[in-house]
Amino acid sequence: MGKTYIQQLFKAYNITVDAGRQQLFEEFMSDERNILAAEQIITNQRLLMDTWQFKNRLADIQQQQVVIPNATVGKAYTARFDFAQLKWEDFTWSGINGLEDIGLAYDTATAEIKGTPVKSGDFKIRLQYRLQGQAEETPLNEKLVSLVINPNPRSLWKDLPSDREGAFWKEDNVTAFAPLGDKHLVAASKRGRSHANTGAYRDDDFAFTHLADSGWSILAVADGAGSAIASREGSRLACNYIIDYFEKEFSPALQADFDALLAEYATTGSDATQKKLTRFVYDILGAAAFTTHKKLDEFAGGQGMSLKDFHSTLIFVLLKKYVHGYVIMSFGVGDCPIGLVHTGASDITLMNRLDVGEFGGGTRFITMPEIFKSDTFATRFGFKLVPGFSYLMLMTDGIYDPKFEVEANLDRLSAWQSLLADLGGQNDDRIQVTLDAPSEDTARQLAAWMDFWSPGNHDDRTLMIIC
Amino acid sequence: MRRLPVFFLLDTSGSMYGEPIQALNNALSGMVNTLRLDPQALDSLWLSIITFDKEVKELMPLTELVHFQLPEISCPQSGPTHTGRALEFLHGRVTSEVRKSTPTQKGDWRPLLFIFTDGKPSDLQLYREMIPQIKALNFAAVVGCAAGKAADNGLLKELADTVVHLDTADSATLKQFFKWVSDTIEQGNKSMGTTSQVVLPPPPQEVILIV
Repeated sequence: MGKTYIQQLFKAYNITVDAGRQQLFEEFMSDERNILAAEQIITNQRLLMDTWQFKNRLADIQQQQVVIPNATVGKAYTARFDFAQLKWEDFTWSGINGLEDIGLAYDTATAEIKGTPVKSGDFKIRLQYRLQGQAEETPLNEKLVSLVINPNPRSLWKDLPSDREGAFWKEDNVTAFAPLGDKHLVAASKRGRSHANTGAYRDDDFAFTHLADSGWSILAVADGAGSAIASREGSRLACNYIIDYFEKEFSPALQADFDALLAEYATTGSDATQKKLTRFVYDILGAAAFTTHKKLDEFAGGQGMSLKDFHSTLIFVLLKKYVHGYVIMSFGVGDCPIGLVHTGASDITLMNRLDVGEFGGGTRFITMPEIFKSDTFATRFGFKLVPGFSYLMLMTDGIYDPKFEVEANLDRLSAWQSLLADLGGQNDDRIQVTLDAPSEDTARQLAAWMDFWSPGNHDDRTLMIIC
Repeated sequence: MRRLPVFFLLDTSGSMYGEPIQALNNALSGMVNTLRLDPQALDSLWLSIITFDKEVKELMPLTELVHFQLPEISCPQSGPTHTGRALEFLHGRVTSEVRKSTPTQKGDWRPLLFIFTDGKPSDLQLYREMIPQIKALNFAAVVGCAAGKAADNGLLKELADTVVHLDTADSATLKQFFKWVSDTIEQGNKSMGTTSQVVLPPPPQEVILIV
């Protein structure tokens, strides 16, 4: 090897050996000292090249983008360095120190970061490693890898009380319990976490009354638009205007007309009577809705504000027990469902079609004049005569979104059965709402149940149950 | 669960080279960190970053904030600003990625668009062609940010509902601006009817609102 090197070296420097000196050159190349010198050069060259290659490799690893998934505080986490995919097959050892402080640990054998993070932040973790050919005693190489640990969203929600001095203030959380003829009303309305977090007001509202003389119950639930500045008042007024309207306008004469019509319907069930009944529902509930709209408009004007500032959805129901069964009449604008769960939870009637836009939050409000002009106005009414029922439920989207998720589920009995089971205690918090023996306690239980956790669903929640 | 999709279109043309791009990186990183502390955002926010210079790059496809990792944004030393092509690309992404409500699918919140530029479109004709198409996507807000003297407020105004002007693209100004962006994002997930625009929080002092 040494000989070849010397020959190549001389050639590179254009040193020629005359024919007469060949013997001398042979001796030169066979001299052990010269061979040794040549071999030393070769070894040194190799060392230089290897060292360069090694440095190069380290620099490559330094530059390499290594991405590990983000973690979340309180959530079990595993991230593995895939050595084959990272082209790290020349790693002979790897380790990470200091992960314990954030609740994680590194397993050298599996190259996994594991654990349940306890601290959030943007961390740079030091991955230490040794490459093939590196002696045991050499210092370890290091690469910084970013690890984002998200805070646990549950820990971030604040519960700031709303400003009692502010305009249109209302209680953050309310409950109600009342007998309604031979049924009971249990209701709760809670300010959502998204509002509690900023000390904002509850936009939802509800109201009800039972007209003891006639036996009619009037129930209303409304959800103020999150983007409208006075929607909390809009929802409150909408509910109260409906109650006012029927207390004043649903005269004994009008009620007598309805009673006669219903008796006719219950006995003959003819198309003609049904048409008259439909017309009646349309006229009286439609007038109530329109009056509410107008009164909201007047109120807004009186405040020097725009009607839009009071945007609110509205659902309301008129309920009465007759010898023929229960009459349930409804009106709805917006995305709050009214569900009638039949006796024995054997069937479900969704009393209204929801206004859901193509995007979230894109709904319609009682404060929009166009709803009364639209040809879909007639589809906003519902009428049902049933021998009996288990539950009648009015809810805002704060309940509907997490419990039904999509519109199609509102028509499915199984979804309502799940909700009933959930209310019956099949939930993470083991809270039971005793709807089979309704009392003041039931309303408190309902309010406690309403604190259920559902990621992404932090709107105000209102649920009114007639049982 | 409802998502709030937020798209960022960022100008990475030659004029951004150097300090401005560094300032942009820092400001974006600050914004993401701020958003991570908002429980609402952690639950619903999805972010996408698209850069445009001579080329349009989807630096980060629409990604949930929880999994989001901010990529390093770099830019060439010179070259044109293909804003029109960026809008064309964005249109495709929004059309395919943003979910609309159906009886069996939960629709997203209306998406937000932030467009940041320090110049004016080199492909003006395409830019103008794309404007009505972008508007038809029904964003809850389109916010334009014009940074520096060369930025054309007027052209941006044709596209965006709100245009803000930053005199300089330095670190402090951009940080302020993106703090405001995160405040705006926090406004994005509320019910507001089908077409009304999101109400923006008041901008910081360094920002001049172009009316």
